[in-house]
Amino acid sequence: MTAVISPKKEKFIVPIGPQHPALKEPGHFEFAVDGEVVTDATVRLGYVHRGIEKGAEARNWTQNLYLVERICGICSHIHALTYALGVEVLAEVDVPPRAQAIRVLVAELERIHSHLLWFGVAAHEAGFDTLFMYSWRDRETIMDILEALTGNRVNYSANVLGGVKFDVTDAQRKVILEGIDFLEERTHHYLNVVTTDGMFLQRTRGIGITRLQDAQRLGIVGPTARASGVMRDVRVDAPYAAYDAFPINIVVETAGDLEARFIVRLKELYESFRLIREILDNLPPGDLQVKRFPRRIKPGEVISRVEAPRGEVFYYIRSNGSDMPDRVKVRTPTLCNMASVLSLSVGHHLADVPMLLVGIDPCFSCNDRGVSICSSEGSHDRWTWERLRQFGIDYYANKV
Amino acid sequence: MDSVVNVAALLFFPGGLFVITAGLFYEWIDRKVIARLQNRLGPRWFQPFADTVKLLAKEEVVPERVNPILFVALPLAALAGALTAALYVPMAGLKPAFSFSGDLIVTVYMLSLLTLCTGLAGANTHDRFSLVGATRALTQLFAYEAPFLLALLGPAIAAGSWQISEITAYTETHTWMLVMQPIGFIVALIGLMGKLELPPFDSPEAETEIVAGALTEYSGRGLAIFHLGKGVELVIGLTLITSFYMGGLSNPLAFVLKTVGLLIVLAGLQSLMTRLRIDQTVGLWWRYGALLVLVQWLILFVIQMV
Repeated sequence: MTAVISPKKEKFIVPIGPQHPALKEPGHFEFAVDGEVVTDATVRLGYVHRGIEKGAEARNWTQNLYLVERICGICSHIHALTYALGVEVLAEVDVPPRAQAIRVLVAELERIHSHLLWFGVAAHEAGFDTLFMYSWRDRETIMDILEALTGNRVNYSANVLGGVKFDVTDAQRKVILEGIDFLEERTHHYLNVVTTDGMFLQRTRGIGITRLQDAQRLGIVGPTARASGVMRDVRVDAPYAAYDAFPINIVVETAGDLEARFIVRLKELYESFRLIREILDNLPPGDLQVKRFPRRIKPGEVISRVEAPRGEVFYYIRSNGSDMPDRVKVRTPTLCNMASVLSLSVGHHLADVPMLLVGIDPCFSCNDRGVSICSSEGSHDRWTWERLRQFGIDYYANKV
Repeated sequence: MDSVVNVAALLFFPGGLFVITAGLFYEWIDRKVIARLQNRLGPRWFQPFADTVKLLAKEEVVPERVNPILFVALPLAALAGALTAALYVPMAGLKPAFSFSGDLIVTVYMLSLLTLCTGLAGANTHDRFSLVGATRALTQLFAYEAPFLLALLGPAIAAGSWQISEITAYTETHTWMLVMQPIGFIVALIGLMGKLELPPFDSPEAETEIVAGALTEYSGRGLAIFHLGKGVELVIGLTLITSFYMGGLSNPLAFVLKTVGLLIVLAGLQSLMTRLRIDQTVGLWWRYGALLVLVQWLILFVIQMV
């Protein structure tokens, strides 16, 4: 008689999401755990798919500027900027340098706000609420600056096709510089905390190490990749807007752990502070907008890439000659980084999982897409509205 | 007459109403101080009372596939344990209501009943967050319990008695134990934080990982009672440590000043620290906590021998 040892089939799965205190947006993760150690991880995205890409095809070029700005609540300016840059290439319009500089100014202010927001959330995930409260208090400075500059705290609506809406006045310039000085001082403090606080380092140093090869293989982008030593930043690789006139220094760390991700993001704040001061001192003279922007854009296609706070934002825009785009395809950085969370969490403690997840600075509503499944024969199984409705009725009728 | 006094001791003072009210008030101080340290406004003074009243008035949902008797009984057992412990400590600076030789050990284990009940309550439900939380709560119990007890036994050995009233009488007349046994004090203080699952030892209820830990399925009355139990335990823990290590509690004023002072120190510590993983908590206690308290004991024995 032979004894067959069958592997344990049943797994203890800890579900995180779609509603969970660790997630600020809905996503569903299933972590199989053995005691406290994660043995398997899966993700299901798509809870906040809003059909924006499809919606863009039913709006004209100008209306879409406002639509894409609402893809992300944190990096709203970046989406509008990417879209505007792409459309301006299609329309063969040259945007005045002053407008480009102001666009970069707002983009960098937004980067500061986004990184500070992330910093607070990450500290909260680690259970360090004091740091969370302090960093968010300081983040208010940048929110006030953005409000003073654009009139809005979240969707700044700084762009128009062919330029920007507003100029920077002397009073605003002073407010920005004062705010930046204060934040620079605070950033020194935060960098000191994340690199020296022993208890915090216990939760970040050596946790979630992503090596350079893995980062490249998984196609990680943004600060997450730069923390693993990947020299990749669209602002440097393919300068857009005013980044050729105001170059940035790429911030890279090689450790690849959570601590490195904290350091990269905080050091990027210094670059943003420097760049903002430089732009305010050397704002090129000239107009804010082009005289005339065409209503219809001749047929063509364009790819527009921009470095958002979370990494590369990619837009593919196609025109068929009408006043509406034929196709707008958006790829946000979270989607590129999500694979790294799953592969990293295996082997780590359950307690580290929220930290690993937040380490990529995820933004779920940006990356959620509708998926159509093709069978192996290549036939699309498309559902009509009627069929979907009937399915819903039957589903709930049979459920009871 | 005697039985009337005993019933009053159980229901009003020092057990029952008094310690429950004190627990809620101390919880408010804790929350308020942390909030101020974190640049927040914090709750108004009656917030913990309001929360408790609201929870008590709410429906208690008993989830499927649990033992309903255990589900209802465990919070009661937890609170009963904490309230019983209140009878043996010098509450409000007065003499303990009941006292017998060796009541220190009984008190400490009555306090552990709360954690034990929390763990069992988590294990009773089929919720996955509760199960992980229960495992963590019980793991943590085994981590801090021994060092905490040993730290409380330090003053007991100096006083030559394991009876709380006698130890308190001893500490009142001698130099603060805080000065004589500083290591023991630190271990006892951090042990109390572990016992109460305060940050950084809050991994059994780490909301960013396992929602509310072992008590995830509890709502309404059960949750309120567990909550009250924790408040009571906070008061008793503070009373024990102040009476042992901070020169006893000779009158109600000394009680208020010393315990609130210690509570503010606790609040400061909580707001300074990052949550530890459960393996780090266990490692900390057995690698450093237990070792430190043993060093304290060694010093104690050497001094007593000389």
